[in-house]
Amino acid sequence: MIELVNLSKRFKQMYAVKNLNMFIEKGEIIGLLGPNGAGKSTAISMLSSLIEPTSGDVLYQNKSILKNPSAFRKIVGMVPQDIALYEDLTAEENLMFFGRIYQLSGKELSRKVDEVLEQIGLRDRKKDIVKKFSGGMKRRLNIGVAMLHDPELLIMDEPTVGIDPQSRSYILETVKRFNEERQMTVLYTSHYMEEVEFLCDRIYIMDKGNLIAAGTKDEIKQILSSENTISITVERLNDAFIEALEQHPMTNRVTIGEKEVTILVPRETKAFSEIIKLAESTKLDLVSVDNKTPTLEDVFLHLTGRALRD
Amino acid sequence: MIGILQAKFKSFIRNPWTFVTFTGMSLIFALIFGGAGVDKAFIPVYSSDETIKDSYIGKQLVKQDAFQFSWMSEEQLLEKIEKGNAENGVILHEDDFEIIVGVDSFNTELVNEMISSVYQDKAERERIVELANQNNKDSDFILAKLDTALENPIFDVQTATFRGEGAFVYDNSLHRVFGFSLFFVIYTIAYNVLPILVEKKEGIWDRMILSPLKKWEMYIANLLYSFFMGYVQVLVIFLTFRYIIGVNFHGAFFETLLLLIPYVFAIVSLAILITALVKKVQQFNAVLPIVSVSMAMIGGAYWPIEIVESEALLALSKINPLTYGMEILTGSAVYGYSLPELLVPISILILMGVVLMGLGIHLMERRHI
Ligand SMILES: Nc1ncnc2c1ncn2[C@@H]1O[C@H](COP(=O)(O)OP(=O)(O)O)[C@@H](O)[C@H]1O
Ligand SMILES: [Mg+2]
Repeated sequence: MIELVNLSKRFKQMYAVKNLNMFIEKGEIIGLLGPNGAGKSTAISMLSSLIEPTSGDVLYQNKSILKNPSAFRKIVGMVPQDIALYEDLTAEENLMFFGRIYQLSGKELSRKVDEVLEQIGLRDRKKDIVKKFSGGMKRRLNIGVAMLHDPELLIMDEPTVGIDPQSRSYILETVKRFNEERQMTVLYTSHYMEEVEFLCDRIYIMDKGNLIAAGTKDEIKQILSSENTISITVERLNDAFIEALEQHPMTNRVTIGEKEVTILVPRETKAFSEIIKLAESTKLDLVSVDNKTPTLEDVFLHLTGRALRD
Repeated sequence: MIGILQAKFKSFIRNPWTFVTFTGMSLIFALIFGGAGVDKAFIPVYSSDETIKDSYIGKQLVKQDAFQFSWMSEEQLLEKIEKGNAENGVILHEDDFEIIVGVDSFNTELVNEMISSVYQDKAERERIVELANQNNKDSDFILAKLDTALENPIFDVQTATFRGEGAFVYDNSLHRVFGFSLFFVIYTIAYNVLPILVEKKEGIWDRMILSPLKKWEMYIANLLYSFFMGYVQVLVIFLTFRYIIGVNFHGAFFETLLLLIPYVFAIVSLAILITALVKKVQQFNAVLPIVSVSMAMIGGAYWPIEIVESEALLALSKINPLTYGMEILTGSAVYGYSLPELLVPISILILMGVVLMGLGIHLMERRHI
């Protein structure tokens, strides 16, 4: 349905997005994962025709949207990263306003507004002024506004930032429901890997403007398939042990915590016995040695050497 | 577009405090500094002849409304002038008068002219009475006829101001009303243009851009709204001063309301340029007072531009919309200029408005999108 071709955006000397290639098929939930400043917002602003790319193209049904975005804009619902609402108006008035600018009116408008209020669970609060809403309620309304014109493609820019766990899972469930009940295509941007892992069929991972991984959840985790993540918990860490680990030919990467060391080792190595030997020779008391199943967090760590959230 | 305006007005009704604050400030400042109503020059009067106070001359002095004459003893009168409480004092005699000059201002001459004419009238009336008596006519009847004739002249003589041609007229209370209105309205307008910046940042504009709404509709709705709020604020202030406090607009009240339009338009444009130039609301909050206060100082909102002498400031005042706003308003209400005479400042303001708005919108589009 949509394809990004070598899309780049430069601000002054810095590339916010560099040579991004991406495609979205109808009915998918696509995750765009990356830490703050990765270029996610810039990428989706280009995708939705709000900013012009420095180079590259965005294709919708194999036609470029850069010259003539109007057909494409009709099918896009955009949930901005910030709360884009009139704070002095009520929830219902906000929906009415944004419905009207989509040329809805009369019965059709009020029916649609009621429907959206129901979906986002704000029907009881529709007469309340947005300013008085909790963070979670504002976020829900922020999403609701983008649903008024039944978009085929819903683009969500970090829609769960700064809200309580209940509101977050409510939003995630709602997005999943939209996708299942209406075959709505969703592009979901986040820096929470567990959200993306829960929702998405396919995932793109960005860092510093570059695409660093892409594929289905399993495909991405395959990146780690040649390695195991082993977590070692100890009584008291000593430098000799860490040095021994780092020197050992089996270890690819060592990450040090307070009482915990995480190492990446090739899959086939008999790591456990090696670790026990090293512990004995450096007089270290082991508490536990665990083999962890990889998460997207680990993938990010593997690819960039940094944690996703820092 | 109507939708945007509706949303704005609804928000305004829920949260009118910016508007109320700046309207209130203009009213209060104009009241305090203008001292509306008591701005007539105070002139102490004394006469050794007790009867003069209740005679024709005494009554005429009370009737006129350019000066406030106040009767007192000779010592008090001299003391007032020595202490600088009054610029001039007057001592009245039966057939002539003296002016005691404390400060020789343009008022001295005006007082002199005014009192002379009262004495002349008195002399004329006495001659009429004398002639009537010689011819055995009823002198009271003739005088009454004379008064009615003076009040209802056959020829409709237009008199702009008795103060005469070329005098530097400074109507304090009116000047303050204009000055503070034009100054504070800058804030009201600017804070109604500012939401463009906020709405762009938060993404409300992105939402509208993706909708079938046109870009120009978004700008027009925002600018119309700001214009309207600014205009209503000045309207409220003028109405208050005209009808509640009773400031004399010298018959040009409705003209001033019309002549406000170019100024308000120019300020809307200036506000959009400032909004386009700043990156954050904090910057806007910092820049706005600097711009508005300096505009007010060199534009003659606080004091008449006539007292500014620095060449550089006068040159700056030529690119200041407030200068022209004051020129138009005082020109029409105080000097009684007609529309053709005000065409130059009006055109300049409209031109400024168009240029600043074009520049502002252009920058805004380039910067943020
Ligand atoms: N309008 C802009 N002007 C200059 N730099 C920008 C602008 N928008 C974003 N950037 C920069 O581009 C990079 C990517 O930003 P963004 O797309 O917002 O990242 P994300 O949404 O992943 O947090 C950041 O370093 C940001 O500072
Ligand atoms: Mg972002």
